[in-house]
Amino acid sequence: MTALDGSTRQLTLVLIVVGLLVGVAVAPQAWDRATEPDGTVAVVELHGSITGDSATAVIDDLRDARQNDSIQAVVLDVNSPGGTASASEQLYLAVKRTAGEMPVVASVTGTAASGSYYAAAPADDIYVTPASVVGSIGVRATLPSASIPEGQVVTGPDKVGGSTPDEVRQRVETLRRAFVGSVFAERGDRIELTREEVSHAKVYAGASGVENGLADEIGGVDTAIGAAADDAGLSNYDVVRMEAPQPSVLAQLGLSADTTGDATTEQTFEYRGVDTVQYLMLHGTITTDTARNATEVTANATA
Amino acid sequence: MQPRKVARAIGVIAVVAAVVVAAAYAGGLILGAPTQAAAPDAPAYDTNELVAEPIEDDGSITAPADGDSKTVVIDMSHGNGVSENALQPLVDALVAADHEVRMYAGGSMSIGAEPGAAFNETLRSADALVVASPATTYSSNEVAGVEAFADAGGRVLLAAEPPTTTSTTSTVSIPGLTSSGTVTAAGQPTNLAATFGISFGNGYLYDMAENANNFQSVYAGGDDGVANGVENAVLTDATPVTTSGDASSVLTASDVSLSSTRDEASYTVAARNGDVLAVGDTDFLTSSATEGDNDVLLSNVAAFLVTGDKQPGIPASSQSGGQSSGTGTTPVMAT
Repeated sequence: MTALDGSTRQLTLVLIVVGLLVGVAVAPQAWDRATEPDGTVAVVELHGSITGDSATAVIDDLRDARQNDSIQAVVLDVNSPGGTASASEQLYLAVKRTAGEMPVVASVTGTAASGSYYAAAPADDIYVTPASVVGSIGVRATLPSASIPEGQVVTGPDKVGGSTPDEVRQRVETLRRAFVGSVFAERGDRIELTREEVSHAKVYAGASGVENGLADEIGGVDTAIGAAADDAGLSNYDVVRMEAPQPSVLAQLGLSADTTGDATTEQTFEYRGVDTVQYLMLHGTITTDTARNATEVTANATA
Repeated sequence: MQPRKVARAIGVIAVVAAVVVAAAYAGGLILGAPTQAAAPDAPAYDTNELVAEPIEDDGSITAPADGDSKTVVIDMSHGNGVSENALQPLVDALVAADHEVRMYAGGSMSIGAEPGAAFNETLRSADALVVASPATTYSSNEVAGVEAFADAGGRVLLAAEPPTTTSTTSTVSIPGLTSSGTVTAAGQPTNLAATFGISFGNGYLYDMAENANNFQSVYAGGDDGVANGVENAVLTDATPVTTSGDASSVLTASDVSLSSTRDEASYTVAARNGDVLAVGDTDFLTSSATEGDNDVLLSNVAAFLVTGDKQPGIPASSQSGGQSSGTGTTPVMAT
């Protein structure tokens, strides 16, 4: 009996040791499981002028965020003066689509003016700092040249310019209605301004933006990330940054062959060597040959 | 190996592979990628009010042809911001009604002639004068000439734009050799208008709510006189006209704002003082002559120009002083 009792006790001891070893081997995975993040907040950068290419990069980032199961909220890091009208509308739709699937919070880290405000408008909340800038809700276009240049054959009167100046005005007005209408569709319940006041295309510093409803809260990008995580119900989360495409190192240093210093509007938005009518949602003064006089007129008239 | 065994082995492999692929496909269908959410609707994109309607642009301009043939002088000698081609709607209407239109491009210089002598000489045989958007000021001699011209029944149209530049003054003034003055508010015949109790504003008018497809294209209307039948004239980049004394408002833009003050009010955009008409816009003479009610307005203005009763020989030659050897006018022929 005692011999049998002793062997049973030994066997139990061996089993306990084996169980301990197995438990210790598996325990780190259980620890990891317990402490692993609930999900990821993606910070999507919208930096620099909005062109077809830069908008495509942001739209791809947003699609990645939607399709990646671990990403549960998006923070749109906006610092852009806007850009072409069509690319801005594409961005608006992409952000709106993302906001339909997961919390999207915009953080204005510099400027969200014109086209980039268009992109930020569908976000659940827009975070600003007192010095960051929102607004400039409007559209501008260059007027087409009316005459057919000598030495060219074209098949119709509008082949060169694309449209008459009156038609350009109509189209700009149509784009303005779409822009202002979209801003009111997204934020109409929060904006304290009338449509006419918004159409003045003023830019507002962050604090006034919060007051008039073009922005929601004062806070930095980390506050925005926290708010996005809260909205998604994440208490423990990772942050990944999806960066905007960087200009080449040479261009950053100003050493590139074709860019001397600041890139002009033509270099950024026009097709090389072809002068087309540009519909822009862009904040700031642009210099084109045809617009230069008009800009000076406005400057003097308001001076 | 026996062929039967080989065939059987291949058969088993094929069946197993097919089962695995089918399972993966079925699993993918059931557990696979979540379907894309429906495309977001952009409510602002599909309303009927989205597309801006073109402004009616099919009017025609006429001038009365039943009276005497009158001579209308269009001043081009002060760096005017309109070209002969641009003024074609008005010129065509006047010429078609058998009136004479002369473009005054500046007289040839002669030693001892006072500035403006040739200008005043041109007015002597004219019935009406059109001054649109001048870049240089009128000399005191010219102002006196136009005043005498208007007092004698000559019709004067002063059209202005918001001022463009006040900074650069290039004055090379040698008495007797130049007829150009200093650059002040380019685009506005300031001192000429002041003579008749009229001044032009320092900004443009805009309307954010009700406009002709652009905030700078405001609607203006009036009741009688030059504004008879004008309800919705389209004035682009217009400047307000301020009147004093005998001048009275004839055309008004309501609920518009002035760019320099941002004040919303009713602004006078055209005023008349006897035989002088001042309009704070030149586009209705040129590019937008047929938009909205501009054709009615411009027809009325053409009638205003040719229905005066001016005494010949005024301004008298004593007012011009000195002599000039040419008048520098170019008659415009009907084509």
